[in-house]
Amino acid sequence: MALFLEQLLNGLTVGSVYAVVALGYTMVYGVLRLINFAHGELFMLGAYLGFTLLVATGLGGALPLGLALLLLLLVVMGAVALLGLVIERVAYRPLRRANRLTAVVSALGVSIFLQNGAMLLWGPRYRAYPAWALPEVRWTVAGLHLSLMQVVILAVALVLMVGLYLLIQKTMLGTAIRATAIDHDTARLMGINVDRIIQFIFFIGPALGAAAGVLLGLYYRQVHFTMGWIYGLKAFTAAILGGIGNIPGAMIGGLLLGILEMLGAGYLSAAWKDAFVFMILILLLILRPTGLLGERVAEKV
Amino acid sequence: MRPRGAGAFAAAWVVTWLLAVLLAGAVGAQEPIRIGLQAPITGPWAYEGEMARNSVEIVKDQINARGGVLGRPIEIVLGDDQGNPRQSALVAQRMVAAGVVAVIGTYGSSINEAASTIYERAGVVNIAYGATAVQLTERGWRYFFRTCFRDDRQGAFFAQLVNEMLGASRVAILHDNTTFARGLAEAARASLAAEGLAELVFYDAVTPGERDFTPILSRMRARAPEVVYYTGYYPEAALIARQMRDLGIDALFVGGNAAINDEFVEIAGLEVASGALMTQEPLPTDLPYPEAQAFLEEYVRRHGQPPSSPWPVYAADALLVLAAAIEATGSTESEILAEFIRGPLAIQGITGPIAFDSRGDREGAIYLAYQVGPDGGLQPYEP
Repeated sequence: MALFLEQLLNGLTVGSVYAVVALGYTMVYGVLRLINFAHGELFMLGAYLGFTLLVATGLGGALPLGLALLLLLLVVMGAVALLGLVIERVAYRPLRRANRLTAVVSALGVSIFLQNGAMLLWGPRYRAYPAWALPEVRWTVAGLHLSLMQVVILAVALVLMVGLYLLIQKTMLGTAIRATAIDHDTARLMGINVDRIIQFIFFIGPALGAAAGVLLGLYYRQVHFTMGWIYGLKAFTAAILGGIGNIPGAMIGGLLLGILEMLGAGYLSAAWKDAFVFMILILLLILRPTGLLGERVAEKV
Repeated sequence: MRPRGAGAFAAAWVVTWLLAVLLAGAVGAQEPIRIGLQAPITGPWAYEGEMARNSVEIVKDQINARGGVLGRPIEIVLGDDQGNPRQSALVAQRMVAAGVVAVIGTYGSSINEAASTIYERAGVVNIAYGATAVQLTERGWRYFFRTCFRDDRQGAFFAQLVNEMLGASRVAILHDNTTFARGLAEAARASLAAEGLAELVFYDAVTPGERDFTPILSRMRARAPEVVYYTGYYPEAALIARQMRDLGIDALFVGGNAAINDEFVEIAGLEVASGALMTQEPLPTDLPYPEAQAFLEEYVRRHGQPPSSPWPVYAADALLVLAAAIEATGSTESEILAEFIRGPLAIQGITGPIAFDSRGDREGAIYLAYQVGPDGGLQPYEP
């Protein structure tokens, strides 16, 4: 039982990272019907920026650790969010009226650009977050191994997800975003500045991705310029699982994916983990083509 | 589509050919001998690729400074396989198309498998420097050689380490399903079973590129191993070593010869890494030969520090083998070179005496157990 709970906890930890990244995919898709393939790379850049800032500033000398990490998280989120705005302006906005496939190709181009840029900037080697970034605190509760980092990840991810949910559901801005997601032209008729909304999406999504990158870097302490691909893929899968375009769906999809992975690896075979996860995805899509919470099928234009 | 592609290809080929003829005419008899180096210059093993390239460059410069081979300078044609089998096949095709005399490379057995198939078909001598899976030389091929040693010998050494030096009785073995890691794991398992002293309590595979190994490690914990042997590569090895500690497994971590280098120490963290063992060919810095010392001095002069894994030096040795074979036979014909390398060739390389058996494997084999010291450096293990 302790083993099962432990796998569950590990799954939740990884899953909450997937969920936060998946939000970026799902929001962009919701508003633009575009799969932003560069999103995984923004996540990777977040991890690298966090690493650089940690190493460069030495962190925590003057500030208490918790505050320093919070500051780090905010700075990295801000920087990557700005990059997200630039990408939207340079790579997506000029193609707004073009064929949908064109924008996807542009997204792939941005992804390759960012990945290779990171390689040139930080080198092809694995970089390791310094060991002092977060003290190794571990508890054993009734045979269950739990680390401080897991608690931090779960807490931060939860705050981000709840924050985003409230923003989307309870504010004017959120209402405008939802309106834009349903129909651009009608939203425009209602006096919504659609370009602004899209910009905002490209601000929030990358910021979330970057936060997940920092968390993951702190957790596994290992960053590499190719890591955006696999986490991007997993998060994208999570978004599909939950119903792409649907924000609570992405959250549930991410958590579910993480748990399925860990249970698959723990009880079946670690080598077959991905096969197991994708098999579940296929089954689910056969039974529910719109994902767990997806109601709207993307209109084909 | 197809005729147009073929046409373009033919045109490109003719242009390249004309250029080559013109260039060859311009430099006359000094036309370089072109030897391919296929290595992971980018991708997850970029670090290894870079060191291999540095090492080969040193030997190339030394040979050229002595007047080259057959009076012709050596030119290295670099192919980046990114540590990826698909890319590896493409690089091999490009090498063959470029008409190189022979190819050195590459790192990683499964990457090598893809390329060496193409070299064999095209009849190009290729000498692997970091591909130790047993089956690579079990195919009865004519043009494939390797300057590194085979995994079965390393697997046997691991069993010996467990039984004679560690005296452990419960052993877990993990691999990552790549050709190399699986081969080594199988060899270690077979040797353990043959000696019959220690019990293999856990045997499973992880996914390369993965970051979270806690599920499989939790399962392993239940089997209470004293020694854990991971036969894969260092990015995963470091995380496995650390996550083992996180889960409260205090078994001794032993890595195969691709598992531990200075990046392993950096990622795992010193407190986890120190004390870890690995089975390995001697590191460049532990090679007793004068050739090795001269090579290392030059390497350190150029790059500030010695190579941190044994593989790049095997790449340098591969170039020495090729140069010796070309010089001795006076030929750049693959057939003649392959015949000579398999037969009479016997040279003193950087990693010791080099000669090949009929399968293309290097004769002899030396392994050592290394331990990560308190400062993160590797030192020969003394029980």
